[in-house]
Amino acid sequence: MGTVITIDVYPVLAADDTWTADLRGRLDRAGMVLQRADEVFSTWRRDSPVSRLRRGEITPAEVPPEVAVVMRACEVARRLSGGWFDPWAMPGGFDPTGYVKGWAAQRALRALDGLAMHGALVNAAGDIACTGRQPSGEAFRIGIADPDEPRRLAEIAELTACIATSGTYEQGSHLVDPRSGLPAARAASASVIGPDLGLADALATAIAVAGTAGLDLVERLAGYEALVIDWDGRRHSTTRFPFAPVSGGAAARLSQGHCRPATM
Amino acid sequence: MKRAPIVIAGTVAGLVAVLEFHTTPVKLTLAGGSSVTPAVTPGASTTTQPAASGSKPARRAKHGSASGQTASRSATGQQANYSYGVLSVKVTVSGSKITKVTIAYLDDSGDPRSQLIDEQAIPILEQEALRAQSANIQGVSGASYTSEGFVQSLQSALHSLDM
Repeated sequence: MGTVITIDVYPVLAADDTWTADLRGRLDRAGMVLQRADEVFSTWRRDSPVSRLRRGEITPAEVPPEVAVVMRACEVARRLSGGWFDPWAMPGGFDPTGYVKGWAAQRALRALDGLAMHGALVNAAGDIACTGRQPSGEAFRIGIADPDEPRRLAEIAELTACIATSGTYEQGSHLVDPRSGLPAARAASASVIGPDLGLADALATAIAVAGTAGLDLVERLAGYEALVIDWDGRRHSTTRFPFAPVSGGAAARLSQGHCRPATM
Repeated sequence: MKRAPIVIAGTVAGLVAVLEFHTTPVKLTLAGGSSVTPAVTPGASTTTQPAASGSKPARRAKHGSASGQTASRSATGQQANYSYGVLSVKVTVSGSKITKVTIAYLDDSGDPRSQLIDEQAIPILEQEALRAQSANIQGVSGASYTSEGFVQSLQSALHSLDM
């Protein structure tokens, strides 16, 4: 996947040697999950099963079991997205990347299940899966990058599940409209929150292509919320998107400008 | 408050893992590759890692250190990977307020495009850190990595100042 994955763990107590050894073992397993996902799904590695599938060297019946699982999940995501997310319509053939990054990050997070902790976050280059809460008991607060100025934050969301954001502002025009096969992005940025990071990732990709018209798809989906930032910088969201309360200082800045600052 | 940071660093086939462990979050950064060979370095300072690619020689950061209980204190954060290389952030605080944020170390591999981006981005990051003291976030969701490395290094500098 060629990406950076960060895992944050919030311990319950001052961690002793036993806890640290437990954590280390779990982080090793999380790393193996991510490495395995890269080996199997990478479209950059010529010898990966997905690359061989794309070249027609193996059939869908011959892929490793996790590829079959992801292909079925991609079919569901394609249906739920009204066809706006379609790994089968990508140039070069089946490309599940829009689902796999989030799927793998969430699997890596599961390696921490049972660890004594307040909570943990896995951040796969901006797609985030979390479990638990901050030590204060508050939900994790996640900044959403401003597509107009990616080194600032546009909004802050309270997160108790997963969030994925898609847009063309960092990597150029990599979003493809499955209906035309051509690059297209009707939103500057689309973020989707929900219990499954793979699906959230797929839906974020879909809405970034579809634009605000795609919000209805998420509105109908129980447990999922979405935020679209359009090319004029306006926000459009589903009814229950968990915007974090704005503190006094941040509110003052928001009223002056169009964005909240990054960091901290 | 007494702290016992543990830094686990291993480089196997391009893997760099940093596990920074304070009383607050534990942070592991995986940059692709295989399993970790841990080398445990207990101590009170932050630690330098080579770049994820392993191909660039790692320059040593000028480590600032927490300087006692005086009104103005500064610390240099752990080096963090960002979109275009490796950086670390130096922060100065007065009481509980951040008064200055600067880049203590930057390796963008000399690539002209990276240097151009850095020239534009880093002054913004420094300013934003000063203005964002109340934002209090645990992560950034975006189309790509953006300022995450900057935030990581800044947070580790603040940790070493007990903030």
